[in-house]
Parts: sequence; structure tokens; C-alpha cells
Amino acid sequence: MKNITVLVVICIAVAIFAFTSGNAFFLDLTFAALIFAVLGQAWNWISGYAGQVSFGHALFFGCGAYAAAFANWHHFSPWPGIAAGIVIAAAIAVIVGFPCFALRGHYFSIATIAVAAIGQIYVNTAGWLNGAVGIEYKLLPSGLENLQFLDKTPWVLIALVAFAGVQLATMLLESSRIGYYLRAIRANQDAAGSVGIDARAWKLRAFVASAVATAIAGSLYAQYTLLVDPSSVFSLPISVSIALVGVVGGLGRLWGPPIGALTYAFLAKYVAAQLGGNGRGLDLVIYGALICLIAAWRPSGLAGAFEQIVLRRT
Amino acid sequence: MGLTLIFGVMDVVNFAHGEFLMIAMYVTFALSLVGLQPLVALPIVAIVLFGVGAIIYRIFVRRLLEGPPEATIFGTFGLLVLFQGLAQYFLTSDLRSANNTWFTGTLQFGAVRIGETDLIEGFGALVIAVLLYLFIEYTETGRAMRATSEDRMAATLMGVDVQRVNLLAWGIGSACAGAAGALLMLTYQVYPTVGAEFALTAFVVVALGGFGSIQGAFIGALLVGLVEVLGGFYLSPAIKMIPVYMLYLIVVLLRPQGLLGRR
Repeated sequence: MKNITVLVVICIAVAIFAFTSGNAFFLDLTFAALIFAVLGQAWNWISGYAGQVSFGHALFFGCGAYAAAFANWHHFSPWPGIAAGIVIAAAIAVIVGFPCFALRGHYFSIATIAVAAIGQIYVNTAGWLNGAVGIEYKLLPSGLENLQFLDKTPWVLIALVAFAGVQLATMLLESSRIGYYLRAIRANQDAAGSVGIDARAWKLRAFVASAVATAIAGSLYAQYTLLVDPSSVFSLPISVSIALVGVVGGLGRLWGPPIGALTYAFLAKYVAAQLGGNGRGLDLVIYGALICLIAAWRPSGLAGAFEQIVLRRT
Repeated sequence: MGLTLIFGVMDVVNFAHGEFLMIAMYVTFALSLVGLQPLVALPIVAIVLFGVGAIIYRIFVRRLLEGPPEATIFGTFGLLVLFQGLAQYFLTSDLRSANNTWFTGTLQFGAVRIGETDLIEGFGALVIAVLLYLFIEYTETGRAMRATSEDRMAATLMGVDVQRVNLLAWGIGSACAGAAGALLMLTYQVYPTVGAEFALTAFVVVALGGFGSIQGAFIGALLVGLVEVLGGFYLSPAIKMIPVYMLYLIVVLLRPQGLLGRR
């Protein structure tokens, strides 16, 4: 119950902020944080709870982004485009996941990098997707039917709905037997198998769910920026950013990805803006150092550190 | 590119290995500013990188090994982000190349024409690979490394100082990246994200041969090189890496221990 209360409070606070603030910069920051929270949480399902570290989530992000952009390019409504992105991402997750879940540890991680790299090279050279140039949106009147808005307020609200959706799904996951299955697989796959958990099947389901949520976030991102190209949606840095949001926040923790996403969005947008043009790279320095510190001294992430402090007080 | 095999010893995949290469290339570049040719700078770069690797092991990687298994993956990824950021901040993302004046000609072997630099790069890599192989197979320290990689606990009980072995493995692995970086500066330019270009190929090479097997990495390197060139020739240069990644996926799925790995 406590988690739902926290979620409701966050949603109300963000909604009030979205309606009252006219500050485009902070609305942009909020949108980025919410989208990255969705991405990080989706990644967390397969890599945090089930322990299968993926560095290829840009593949699903790109599918969603390109499907939506492709629909706009060919004068369709974005909604069937988003649906197509979900179907394609789920199909790829099955095709990739089915053989690759035989791999363990870093073999799986490197395989996800390789698969995503193949995807990026393909899109880079695919004429029907406009190759390396990418797709620039045609501007349409603002409104839900076109999923384009001049104002940033509706965007924050849409991202907020997506965020609330994945948080609720994660709460259900944590309290259901599926959550226990996944954590058992992470802790010891062979032992999990010996008590009757079909590890490969559950990993595959978690992977597909993760791919679907990632594709939706990708579609929203594309509709927001109105431009997609292979290096900005399919590249390894995107996969890594998604993964590191999960790591910084805390693996396999409900509030890990939101905290990680806020940290990431703040560093990427605010610090970069404060330092201006010559500060290029400094946000990466801070972020990299933070990841190193967390990996070496606080494997449970910021959310874990936060929990410890709260527990010590009470 | 028989340089990434050291992480076989520690069962740690160093995702920042490409960044070590990047550092090595910048060091070579810096030395070329004071007039040293890349080939002369090579031993210096290797020693510097050994130091860098050893220091990073002492203050950072050692802690990662005590944590959960994912910690090493993320920790080395953190290093990757950190080094790339530092390089971008302090060195900007301009392309830089060391001026190499010694080797500019081409040699003619029958119908085959090879650039001198390419020949030296290949030969240098071969020498490093052979030296590494001899070191691991025939010295006391090399034996200790192999023992540690097989069974850490047993090695400790037999009186192997595992910390020292790991430190050396990390340092030597970095020194290999250093030597490779110096060689690469003969033909390549360096920029902050140059590591990513080589790191993925290096992973494919190592996984192909089997983590920890030097002969395997050597064969893996030849295979990858061959597939890359043939792919670029028969398909198109833009997609030459697709067959390489496919090769990785096929090999790890059919033979997870790699071509020559033992399990």
C-alpha cells in the first residue's frame, strides 16, 4: 500500500507542476526523466529482477521510434505505427531471446550488444527507412489523434501515464509469484529449474514484456523529438544509458529506475546546460564516476542506499 | 588483436578495454608531439598502460571482485563512460594522428602489394601474441595465472598470491592494449570514442576463441579478420560487420566455450 501512496503523490505533484509551470526547460527535463524511468524499469524487469543483463535495449527503443516515425512519413496516424512497433519489438524479443537465453552471464550481455549492432547497421543501410539520414516528421496540427503537441504540458502528462503504468506493473510483479520466479532464476538458475520453474520460458516472457514497454517509450520519444535517425535511437550509447539508469538506481528495486532516471536526466540536461558548450563531456565524467562508486561500494544502487538510511533512522 | 585474453585469467570481462586502447593511442600521440615515432614509443606506452591498469586494479577492480557478479560488468562499464567523458572534456573530440615518417612505402610480394605500416602492425601484433603465449605457458607467474583461472580457491591453498596474480594480469592486459594502441597509431587517428570501434571486435575475437585461451584468441582474430574482409568485399563495406557479429552469435550458441576453450 505504501508504494501506491508514494506513486499517487508523485503523479499528483508532477501533474500539478505540468499544468502550472510554463518553464519549457524544466518540463523538458521532467519528460526526459519520466521516459527514462519507463525505459529503466522495463530494463529492470529482465536485467534486474531476472538478472539477464541486456546491453541491447536500443534495438527495441529504435523499433518503437522508427515505427511511429514511419507511420508519419507515409501519412498514417501514429497509433497504428505504435502498435506495429510493439508487435515488431515483441517478435524480435522472441527471435533473439529464444536462442540467446541458453547463454549465461557476460556471453548473454555481449550477444545483446551484437544483435543491437546488427540492427543498427541494417537500419543505417536500409533505403526504405531512409538509411543513415533518418526520418524527419511532417508537422501536423496539435492533438491526440496526431500525437503531436506544440505545448510541453501534454507530453509530461502522457509520459506520466506511461510511468505510472510501468510502476503499477512492477508492483504487481513484485507481489506475484512471477516476481519470485524471476528472482529465483537470478539467484540460481539450476536450483530454480529443479523446483519446477521453467527458467527459459519465464526469462523469455520478461524479455518480451520489457521489449514492449521499451518500444512504447521509443514511440513517445520519436513523437516528442519529431526526428529519428539510426545513431540517435539504435546506437550502443542508448542501450548503455537505459542499462545505467537501472544500475544507478538499484537493480531489481521498484524505486531504483525512477531515482536513476531523475539523476540521469538532471546530469544530462541540467549540468550540461549549466556548463554550456565547453562543458561537453563533463556530465559523462560525473555519471561515469557515480557508476564506478556505486558498482564498487553500493551494489544496491541509490535506492538501496536510500532504503538503508531510512531504515537506520526508524 | 590477440590482446583481450587476459580477462580469461580473472573471469572478468573488462568492458573498458577499448578505453585503455584509447588512452594508449593518446599517450602515443603525446609522445609523437615530442618527436618520438610510434614504434619507439611502444615500450613506453606499454609500461605506462601497465601502471594505469595496475593502479585501477588496486583502487577499484579489487573491490568489484568482492561484490556480486554483475558488479564487474557495470563497474567496468562505468570506467568506460568515465574515461570517454574525461577524454572528451580535456582533449575535445577532434581527430588526432601521430606523424609517422619512417614507414610510408609499400612493398611488393609478387602480385600482392602491402603497405609497410600494415606489415609492421601485423608483425608487431604477432610478436606480442607470441611473447604473451610464452610468458603464460613457461614462466612461474604464468603458471600461477593459469592455476588461478582454473580454480581460485585451490590456487590460494597452493600458496599462489591471487591478489598479485590478478594485479599482474590486469597490468599485462592493459600493457597489451598499450602496445596495440601504439601500433594502431601508425595508421589510425585517435578520438575519445575510438575504443568502441575496437572493443566489440575484440569481444567477438575472444569469445570465438574461448575466454582465456591464447591460441584460441589468435585463431579467433584470424577468423574475424577474414570474415570482415570477405564480408566487405562480397557484400558491401557498410555492412561488413554483420557477418562478424553473426559469427559470434552462431559460435557462442553452438559451442559456448568458444572454439578452443575448455570447460
